[in-house]
Amino acid sequence: MRQPEFEAMDREELELLQLERLQSTLTRAFRQVKFYRRQLEGLGLGLDAIRELKDISRLPFTTREDLSENYPYGLFAVPLRDIVRILSSPGTTEKPLVVGYAAQDVKLWLELLARLYTAAGVGREDIVQLILPPGLANWRRDLQAGAEYLGASVIPAATLNFAKELMVMRDYKTSVLVTTPSLARHLLTVMDRLNLSPVELSLKKALLVAAPLPGEVRQEIEAGFQIKVATAYGITEVMGPGLAFSCEFNQGVHFSEDHFYPEIIDPDTGLSVWPGELGELVITTLSTVAFPLVRFRSGDRARLLQEPCACGRTLVRLGEISGRVDAIFSVGGIKVHPDQLKLLLTEVLGGHAPSCRWQVNTEDGLEVLDIDINLDEAIFSDEVKALEGLGRRARRHLQDHLGINARITLKEVG
Amino acid sequence: MLKIRNLYAYYGSLPALSGVTCHVREGEIVTLIGANGAGKTTLLNAICGLVRWQGEITYSGRTPLKGRAPEDLVSLGISQVPEGRQLFAPMTVAENLELGAYHRQSRTNRGAIALDLGRVYRLFPRLQERLQQKAGTLSGGEQQMLAIARALMARPRLLLLDEPSLGLAPLVVEDILATLSQLCKEGVTILLVEQNARAALKVAHRAYVLETGRIILSGTAQDLLQDRQVTRAYLGKDYKEFTEGR
Repeated sequence: MRQPEFEAMDREELELLQLERLQSTLTRAFRQVKFYRRQLEGLGLGLDAIRELKDISRLPFTTREDLSENYPYGLFAVPLRDIVRILSSPGTTEKPLVVGYAAQDVKLWLELLARLYTAAGVGREDIVQLILPPGLANWRRDLQAGAEYLGASVIPAATLNFAKELMVMRDYKTSVLVTTPSLARHLLTVMDRLNLSPVELSLKKALLVAAPLPGEVRQEIEAGFQIKVATAYGITEVMGPGLAFSCEFNQGVHFSEDHFYPEIIDPDTGLSVWPGELGELVITTLSTVAFPLVRFRSGDRARLLQEPCACGRTLVRLGEISGRVDAIFSVGGIKVHPDQLKLLLTEVLGGHAPSCRWQVNTEDGLEVLDIDINLDEAIFSDEVKALEGLGRRARRHLQDHLGINARITLKEVG
Repeated sequence: MLKIRNLYAYYGSLPALSGVTCHVREGEIVTLIGANGAGKTTLLNAICGLVRWQGEITYSGRTPLKGRAPEDLVSLGISQVPEGRQLFAPMTVAENLELGAYHRQSRTNRGAIALDLGRVYRLFPRLQERLQQKAGTLSGGEQQMLAIARALMARPRLLLLDEPSLGLAPLVVEDILATLSQLCKEGVTILLVEQNARAALKVAHRAYVLETGRIILSGTAQDLLQDRQVTRAYLGKDYKEFTEGR
């Protein structure tokens, strides 16, 4: 454990720490962010409303839409001159989500990443290789910085082909692979093709991020590479990658509750579910300075496992993410909202909204978004070349804007 | 060691503290920083039972401090070094120190008190040189030392200090703060209220920033020393509200 004083803190003390951090976060949000002040005042709530942790359920939620509506800097709680990093990501509307970090926020994330790596059994002596697509830029940057902060030797994510990546992995004696579940599976198929056996590698562990990791996928990857797999949970577009992390017992991921307060709610009623029940994960930041988030609706469906963990950590565990409560879906770890997708396709088609269907498929382990666009009168051309060009443009447009791998099929109606 | 939940305190109808939750662990130096009138002193006074308050304060496990008289708290091991020192000016240094151990005066305790005097002299050799001098004639720094020494004579486990650096020259401030670090190493837990935020953050482990009766920020002293808003509001030349509008 990197920080046993927090990771294995007595629950009662942890809850006092959470309460004092929650109260000061709310005070800052209330005094410095108009949005939160209005939200609370609109409900007739003052800062006195929160006297216990469970009072948090009286506060309104914050959604991705709220973030977009306050584009660009409306939710920042410190002056811009104190912001050292500005991140934006496609949201669910036309306006992107913009998030700011102050210097101490960046430091907090580094510490949480070091905590995550330590729990995964990664240390200074390890050689860590990142294989993450450009669409996961936030994961790439943070996981690289975190491993460097820990003191490991890091091979940053490159845009090599997978055979080259495997050559690097073998020759540089990579001991830790950081990638997504889908890319890890793909790497196994490439190894197969190259007749590369896992015994030729020095790989000991893999940290699989950015997408849920079902048990059978974990087993497949552990067996295929003959390694141990660790995982982490994060919402990199609005918070960061180190929200929760797995320990050696792999029964869910420990939530860094000393800095983030998790709740599970019924997405329809907004009410808390019974302990252990499945619902939407809602997160409140307790320590971040630049961008406090009060009851942010993650959209991820999961449960909290309250039972103590054999590893000794007292931090509550988040069970496997079993899907989304909203329409957002993931293509190789990259989150996509259907509205966004339609918007981008409409742009390519010169303002015409096409009728289309899509599905995420797996090919050699890699996730691809298959999109069927119906050829209606507005799009139809009798020139094959024009139609091919259209498919290519759409594909490139999605790659440019979302960083996802799409396959476009134009279908004749009828 | 000290847990405070939802602390409210008023001066008349004016709220001085509105819902403060914080804690001090055994062996820590924790500092409260904030501008004048933020509620720092009120917080110390509430712990000591010198102002009326609502909420919950527990000490050393589960001992609630609600409704206890200030003198009870001294027996529990909580001593305050008040702002402005409040020494008995016409009395000598020795007499002031003796009064600090007032609640422990008894024949059986005499040996222990002598032992504590020895410890205090070790910490503040200058006081030993001036034992017969009237407290009122000491320099500011010496008076502050005496005030701390007097509080130590009660053998506190938790020492509360209110602005020990007030009106002292920078070098003397350094001396006083170094003494606090030493005391902490000897097992005394310290809650320190300071306007001289920079000096306080240098010796403290953690800090809370108070603004108009509420905690707006907390963290390790090292982190807060680097926090740009704290720097602007409390470490610069002019005091500005931390949450000053943008």
